[in-house]
Amino acid sequence: MSFPNSHKTVFLLDRSSAFHESSKQPVDFDMFMKAKAPGLIPLAPISKSLWTCNVEAVLEYVRIVYDVFPVSKLIQLIVSEGDAIALNSWNQQEQNLQHLTGMLARLRPPNNDHLVSNDCTIFNGINLAIEKLCEPSIIQHKVRTSLTESASSCENRGRIICLSSFESDEFIHKVESYVLNMLNQHNKLAMSTDVLMPVDHCELVLVDLVPLGNQSICSNQPKKQLSPYLTSEVHSSQSGRFIAIKLVELVMSHFNLSSTTVTGIPMKEEQNAMSSANYDVELLHSSDAHIDLIRAGHHEGLVAPSKEGLYTDTITLKWCTPKTTAVELQQCTGAFRITPVDVNSRPSSCLTNFLLSGRSVMLEQPRKTGNKIISHMLSSHGGEIYIHVLSTWRSMLEDPPSISEGAGGRLTDYRINDFGELMKENLLGPVTDASNLSMLPIKRAQAQIERMTRYWPLIISETIIFNMASIIDPLPSLIMKETLSEAEVVECKKVIYHVVGMETRNDPLPNPTSGARGKSSKRDEQYRQMWNELERFVRAYSNTSASHGKVLECVTECKRKNNDDSPTGQPAKVKEDKVFSSDTSGDRSSKPSTDKDRQDMRKSEVKKEPESPCAKRFKIGFGQNRSAASQSLLSMWTNRIKLEHKATCPEFAGRQDSPGNKAELYKHLKDTSNGEGGHGINEKTGGGRGGSHKSNISLA
Amino acid sequence: MPTVLLLDVSLSMSRPIATLEGHEETSRRHLAVAGINPFLDYLASNCKLEFVSLVIFSSLYEQVVPFTRDYNEIRTAVEKLDDYDKTCIETALGGVNMLILEEWGASAPCQVILVTDGALGFGEGSLKQVVQAYSNRSALAADHKFSLPFKFPCKLHVMLLGDSTTKQTLISASLLRDLISVNGQGGELFMPEGSLSVKTVQGMFSALAEKYYSPFVGVLKCGNLTCPVHIFPTLDAYDRVHEFEHVKKVASKEIRTCGFIDIADIASPPYLSRHLVLPISTSQSSCAKTDSNKDDSEEREDKSAAFTVLLHGSLKVEGMIALVQISEDWYGMMYSYADSKKKSNLMLSVFEPGPNVISWLGCLSHLGPVSDLATASNKPGEGKSPFPVCPAERRSYSQNCVVWIKTTGLHTDIQKILRNARKLPEKLPHFYKELNRLRRAALALGFYELLDAVAQLLDRECTLLAGNTHPDAALQMAHVASFLRSEVARDAEQNIVPLQTNFSTDWGDRSDR
Repeated sequence: MSFPNSHKTVFLLDRSSAFHESSKQPVDFDMFMKAKAPGLIPLAPISKSLWTCNVEAVLEYVRIVYDVFPVSKLIQLIVSEGDAIALNSWNQQEQNLQHLTGMLARLRPPNNDHLVSNDCTIFNGINLAIEKLCEPSIIQHKVRTSLTESASSCENRGRIICLSSFESDEFIHKVESYVLNMLNQHNKLAMSTDVLMPVDHCELVLVDLVPLGNQSICSNQPKKQLSPYLTSEVHSSQSGRFIAIKLVELVMSHFNLSSTTVTGIPMKEEQNAMSSANYDVELLHSSDAHIDLIRAGHHEGLVAPSKEGLYTDTITLKWCTPKTTAVELQQCTGAFRITPVDVNSRPSSCLTNFLLSGRSVMLEQPRKTGNKIISHMLSSHGGEIYIHVLSTWRSMLEDPPSISEGAGGRLTDYRINDFGELMKENLLGPVTDASNLSMLPIKRAQAQIERMTRYWPLIISETIIFNMASIIDPLPSLIMKETLSEAEVVECKKVIYHVVGMETRNDPLPNPTSGARGKSSKRDEQYRQMWNELERFVRAYSNTSASHGKVLECVTECKRKNNDDSPTGQPAKVKEDKVFSSDTSGDRSSKPSTDKDRQDMRKSEVKKEPESPCAKRFKIGFGQNRSAASQSLLSMWTNRIKLEHKATCPEFAGRQDSPGNKAELYKHLKDTSNGEGGHGINEKTGGGRGGSHKSNISLA
Repeated sequence: MPTVLLLDVSLSMSRPIATLEGHEETSRRHLAVAGINPFLDYLASNCKLEFVSLVIFSSLYEQVVPFTRDYNEIRTAVEKLDDYDKTCIETALGGVNMLILEEWGASAPCQVILVTDGALGFGEGSLKQVVQAYSNRSALAADHKFSLPFKFPCKLHVMLLGDSTTKQTLISASLLRDLISVNGQGGELFMPEGSLSVKTVQGMFSALAEKYYSPFVGVLKCGNLTCPVHIFPTLDAYDRVHEFEHVKKVASKEIRTCGFIDIADIASPPYLSRHLVLPISTSQSSCAKTDSNKDDSEEREDKSAAFTVLLHGSLKVEGMIALVQISEDWYGMMYSYADSKKKSNLMLSVFEPGPNVISWLGCLSHLGPVSDLATASNKPGEGKSPFPVCPAERRSYSQNCVVWIKTTGLHTDIQKILRNARKLPEKLPHFYKELNRLRRAALALGFYELLDAVAQLLDRECTLLAGNTHPDAALQMAHVASFLRSEVARDAEQNIVPLQTNFSTDWGDRSDR
């Protein structure tokens, strides 16, 4: 754990009367009138006070930090006068520019008639600054009270940046020893309480300020160790724009920032909208965005001195005008927040507004020779602009094998679209308030996928039910739900009965492209498979709730009827077949065998339309005497009569086929062909004759 | 991860080895070759996507075979090597550093396998001297350039071809271990167990292969749909020190799909590493066992469906990624990746461990099915994406903040006020908005001089107004100028409000609307 000094920064602003003085940098605010009304005498330039320049520079430091590291880097502002006042706390709510400017606006600038001696002012502030460093931030508090190994090792490090005017090097020594002394005292105090943390390390940065043009009495001093837990450094700077640049220099070294200049941004001219010129915008961001370039030594030729006049180098990258708005997934090894050096300049705001509108800009390394290398990308996400680092080197994954070369790659009938639908149903979104949920949203998401994939064949030829989506809808979507209402159970049952109806009509099932299997199965075999599959599918969900169980019951019932049909219905069936039809194969059960039969059934179905599907089925069976599974006394009796009757003389085939014992004549005329007629003739039975009778009739 | 075989070809490597009687005399170089060949065989059957380069060194170094997946090139090259002069490890490591940086950049994890007899050498560039130089690095001049630690993530393995019973080998071994720890990025020293022979050398090479080159075999899970997969390169354990915690994570063998996100929403997140996800055929094991049935099982392999193929196809068609969980609080994404136009495959990008690694997705463990959002307050509109997650604070560049460090910033802000002033009363709301913005900024900076200056400017502006200007303009400007000069203007709680005039009432009303 690094526990960086940059986690907590305390700015100490001297508000003594010395800072009432002018910075001596004139601000000519009346330039734009000169051109317009040449006769006028321009208003006299004003100048910012030392205080104004300090506040301006500190706010710029704070702006950069909050833009680039919005969390985990905290800054407190302390204003030191007779009394020292902290303008904000370590609380995240008070870590923003609005809060700080609001607090500053309530302060009066330093008074020139203030008679407090300068010595006192700064020392009060130092006292408060160290006190603040002893207060743990929320992150520190979390780590300290966590039950991990890092809890005991949590270090409290921080930095105090003091902007004041020190009279001499001796005075600086005095300040340093005061800081050391106070640190000791506060640490002792903090040790004795749980609420405070002793300061493990403090970096003291003293900035001595003089008005523009004056020479500082204090000398610059590099960082030196004053004690194991205190280092000190002294910077002296002139006020005005120099202090602003100084603080940008400090923020860059304190937070390890680098600068990138985007060059060649085409922008419409302000005066002349027809022409456009190229502009540069300098950005600051974490140095990690350049680490690849620097480490590999590929930055030569890209480094130039800062265009904004910072005391730093910048890496220049060329703007590439985006050609499309299409979003592609870039291979990106890092993303870091950026902030423009000059946030309000026209080129800067043009660039940021362009990016905030959702476009991304590629940045190219300006090289004279060789290939075009695009190494970075600027893009905004949720109102924050990031610089993305793109990988430019050879990838160890280059020339990967194609997915089609791997296992399972040769198959072509994957249910790609169906899985796409499943993916859409499992899209993720941020759950803002997860407090009332029993499990983490991500676990819920995983549970939902689990539920949706309990039975999910990968390829089209492995499934029948999912190839008849139009028929079994909405059963699949309903059954996957966590709870089923009564109405939804009825919906599911309707689907099942509909399939039963189809089977009864012997409707063709959607043919799974059975190329892979090599043989197309017979229709009844298909129905058997379909029922098995449907049962398997519904069974996977049967434990979800009692209602789900009901759906499974319904499926198994309908399925059993079919299966039961074959063994128990067989004897009666065969006999019927003998007489009525020539084309039923032995294992056919309750299915109508000829086209004619089917027609009849439809008729009867139409008649009984208002009834529920189950009853319909039963009545069909009764009327046709095919309901072998549950024979009523009446049907058994009629069967017996029929059997006896048949033993003596065969019944007229036409009549027996027709409802109500009335034979419909020439009805086969309607049939276009004899369809399946050929393959099921049961030669061994006496019914063969009856069959040939029938075919004779139909031929006639 | 690219591998460099760094082979010592100094004269000492050609020293003969005392062998049992009746055996052919052999040299350390031959032993090295005898170890390298089965090692390459192992790679060819277990990680055939691995890039290997052969670099030889003595007092100089040379890349004999550039990075390749065709291991036969290396096999033929090692047979044809000459003997050179003395060993100089520092030069060789420097060379490797440069070769890898140039080819793979600074972020690709690599492995360097140093094959040497551990001859110490004498004087400048000797092993002892090099290790010593490293140990008192801080004392040496800053311009002394060191090759170690490598500038990229890289394990350094040493294959020490020495008889572990001799004292000299043991000294070399300890020095070489120091070298590995100077690199500090992992790696191991391997020594033959027992005396030097083809068998023991092959043993140490196979120990290396099995420990550091065994393929990562895991299971890709999407609910109940599973597929055994081979992940290349291996998912390494994560062990890094962050600012407030030491994060250690080991990838589990189970990659669980959490859900899906549109490519536009995921928006190119940064990854830690990228991996190919290759399905392992279920029949492959039987294929390996019965070579005679190879054709048979290959056919079967073609017939059996793999979930990865389906997932890849759907991700590609829908333009989505699959968010996967690798371990507790460690996530990644899978997507269709195409190197060239034709060949695409399933790729896994692993994120930094932790739930808050991609700010625009929010907390990753708080991503739930979109259907859950419907009940929550942040219900997304029809076809509107729930992403990105916006931070509570707006950044300076999107909140119109005031910066007057450069005078141009101040000029623009004053100009805006004057421009609106000239168009009064139409621009009345804008005029006061800009004025209050400027005044608030001036108060925060303690820049009271500016208030007076603006008052002066407005006074003069009044005198310059054209004759046909609306009379309200002059009234408002005079009102503002006197306000700015008053003591109230310095009270941050106060705002300048428009003067209620006979003319302005209706304008004021209009602006309210």
